[in-house]
Amino acid sequence: MHYPFWELPIGYGVLMASAAVLHVFISHFAIGGGFFLVVMERAARKAADTARIEFLEKLSRFFVLATLVMGSLTGVGIWFVIGLLNPAATAVLIHNFVWGWAIEWTFFLVEILAAILYYYGWKRMSPANHMIMGWIYFVFAWLSLFVINGIITFMLTPGAWLVTGNIWDGFFNPTFWPSLVLRSAIAVMLAGVYALLIASRCQPEAFKVRMVRQTAGWGLLGLAAALPSLYWYWRAIPSTITAAALQGLPTPMRALQYSFWSAGALAVLLILFGLIVPRRLHLSLAVVIMVAGLGWFGSFEWFRESIRKPFVIEGYMYGNAVEVRDADTYKKDGYLSQIAYRSGDDGADLFRHACGSCHTLQGYKALKPAFDGTDRAFIAAMVQSVHLLRGNMPPFLGTASEAYAIATYLEAKLDPRPLSVIYGLQGAKLGEKVFQIRCGKCHPMGSPHDKTSELAGLSPQDYQELLNNAAGLGPGMPAFTGDETERSALIAYFQTLKTGGGK
Amino acid sequence: MTLPDSRFLPAPLWVITALHIVTLSLHFAAMNFVLGGTLIILTGRFKRRWENPTVRRFLALFPSAMAATVTLGVAPLLFLQLVYPRQMYSAAIVSGWFFLLVIPAVMGAYYLFYAASFSGKEAASSPARFLWPALCGLLYVSLVYSSVFSMAEHPDLIHRLYAQKQTGWQWNPDAGNYLLRWLHMILGAVAVGAYFVGLLGKDDPETFPVAKRLFGYGMAGAAASGFAYFASLKEILVGLMRTPAIWALFVGVLLSLGSLHFFFVRRFFYSGLALLVSLVLMVTARQELRVLRLQGQFDPASWRIAPQWFPFLLFLVCFAGAAILIVYMIRLFFRSHPDSL
Repeated sequence: MHYPFWELPIGYGVLMASAAVLHVFISHFAIGGGFFLVVMERAARKAADTARIEFLEKLSRFFVLATLVMGSLTGVGIWFVIGLLNPAATAVLIHNFVWGWAIEWTFFLVEILAAILYYYGWKRMSPANHMIMGWIYFVFAWLSLFVINGIITFMLTPGAWLVTGNIWDGFFNPTFWPSLVLRSAIAVMLAGVYALLIASRCQPEAFKVRMVRQTAGWGLLGLAAALPSLYWYWRAIPSTITAAALQGLPTPMRALQYSFWSAGALAVLLILFGLIVPRRLHLSLAVVIMVAGLGWFGSFEWFRESIRKPFVIEGYMYGNAVEVRDADTYKKDGYLSQIAYRSGDDGADLFRHACGSCHTLQGYKALKPAFDGTDRAFIAAMVQSVHLLRGNMPPFLGTASEAYAIATYLEAKLDPRPLSVIYGLQGAKLGEKVFQIRCGKCHPMGSPHDKTSELAGLSPQDYQELLNNAAGLGPGMPAFTGDETERSALIAYFQTLKTGGGK
Repeated sequence: MTLPDSRFLPAPLWVITALHIVTLSLHFAAMNFVLGGTLIILTGRFKRRWENPTVRRFLALFPSAMAATVTLGVAPLLFLQLVYPRQMYSAAIVSGWFFLLVIPAVMGAYYLFYAASFSGKEAASSPARFLWPALCGLLYVSLVYSSVFSMAEHPDLIHRLYAQKQTGWQWNPDAGNYLLRWLHMILGAVAVGAYFVGLLGKDDPETFPVAKRLFGYGMAGAAASGFAYFASLKEILVGLMRTPAIWALFVGVLLSLGSLHFFFVRRFFYSGLALLVSLVLMVTARQELRVLRLQGQFDPASWRIAPQWFPFLLFLVCFAGAAILIVYMIRLFFRSHPDSL
């Protein structure tokens, strides 16, 4: 509320994901790749294997170009992006962990220089000194991960910090160690997967087979270590968070599911084309393997981000930058009195600060299609009971008139035609749509809040009565404010419901 | 449960300010090498430009210098955000797209420097086609930073611009407040770049006169634009006169002139030292100016101080350790092959 709001048509989630995904892919590769290079170099030097040394030199050029430039700048990019999208949360992190970041910066200085000297030193340094440089690079790259891991995991599991405010409680939080092991394993996996790109183009064939087997082995080793550590990570997340996700948060569970599929696909591909028929591994297949690896890692990051909702810092700050400690102030004075930068349109300002960090009108997580054909009273009721939706939305802590102002702002942007016209539906089909829009946001079928079994088998009069008294049925229930056509259609739809739930 | 209050500074203000000044000066030194060096390499009067050994050395060094610029730029921004989060972020958000485009601009420039360093000596593969767009990228970045950081010192302006547009496409219209400073910075970069050109090309009869000329022109231009900016400060100038910053500026100017003298007589160590100290003093004066501009709206001394001494100590140890390790690595590299790079 203390900062201006950047109105971004693509949505905050899309921008954040595109910056973060790219960076985590490269930064983890930077760690695992460093380890891979120096271990492989040691083996190659011991065996006086010049072909392998040439391969590693080639790989190090790709490595330096990818990690030094992209890695460091996408890292700065994430920092820019979080500062622009959620400056309040960024400020909390910086104020608590500035020395952590500063320490990481000193590691980064060493890491960058070591990478440059390692790359330029292949033919200029003695093998022993060159490997010293490689080890320095790897150790400091991993130390960077050590520090950043503490800050990232803090956001999901701040642990005792919420009570003590002590930096060490926040840093060595419940998921710190499992996440560190998991990310280290991912770094090893990515090193193998990226190196396959270069190995797939090696000549002659016998050499290629050897390189492909070795690099695929790295990928499999990393993957094998990552899977149990993912389980450890899951177990370290407080059960209140995981239970809520299992019960009603589809996004993190879907992400977890994708991660299992990608891990399976990656394992099969690595075993088949990496170990069994390495001759067949062409560049295109190596790209597919890399995509599977990145898909697995990306799904994990998606899971981590989405399970944290509705918070950006668990238990401390909501995704829309509202601090939990300020909740009473907002409830008493409303949001508007706290919004420092105003555009002159109260409804728009309230929408931006209360909803805009996750939702757009027509882009990512669009609200227009979700509310087209509805009315101000319905939207205001939804805003006020937003925390009851799926458990991943922050509560609306403003006043009733502010909720109404948001509804007024939104209504002006919506399609004003009735749902029957917008969707060209009639009867029970229209009723199903009305249900989806007016009821399904809180009561989706198959969810713990599914009410279809209780609705099935009642008489039309019962349904009429139900809709007449909808607002009194439970906390947060909005009154039914649809027109007569929608009401009849909804009742027609209710009549199609079967006892036991569903249609 | 009472949740922790994160509105605090984890060290006394002077510590953070000092760290900001030191790290920003280091960033400027690296940035001036890249920006000033590129300008000189492209426009200096060299006969067979791309065959000149100093030019070749610069081309080889640009990617590493760019890495240093980026890396050294992280810390001052971190310390600035720590003390001035509301001003800094607010200005950046209002110019969101311009600010964010800094990343692809730097990334593009970085890759272009690599491309230039890999390119050959032949006219057909002239590094100029990589260096010109890289230079444009760097100029864009410096202009955006000048615009945004200047806006951060004018909260009223941020409010006004935000009320007009919330899309992140607002450019700071108050050019009088930053264009001269930006020009001063660019011309200063030419002077520093010329210093490095002279240092690397001290034995080359063609290169050193080019460096001397551009050091002189750069310094004169930086001084002229600096004084013009100084004069444009109007009422702030009176405030500045009452702070030690005016002495920092005065000594900085003297040291700059001294650096020019030492450079002309080929005393490179003293010239470089004077240049670096004058840079630190200029950055110090710039910091004081920020405080003055924000007077009445935000006082950095109003922060609650809750020191985290042990993490801070750990940082100092790591910083010293990193410095020692950096020296060790460079020695290791050059000891292996003293003529490399």
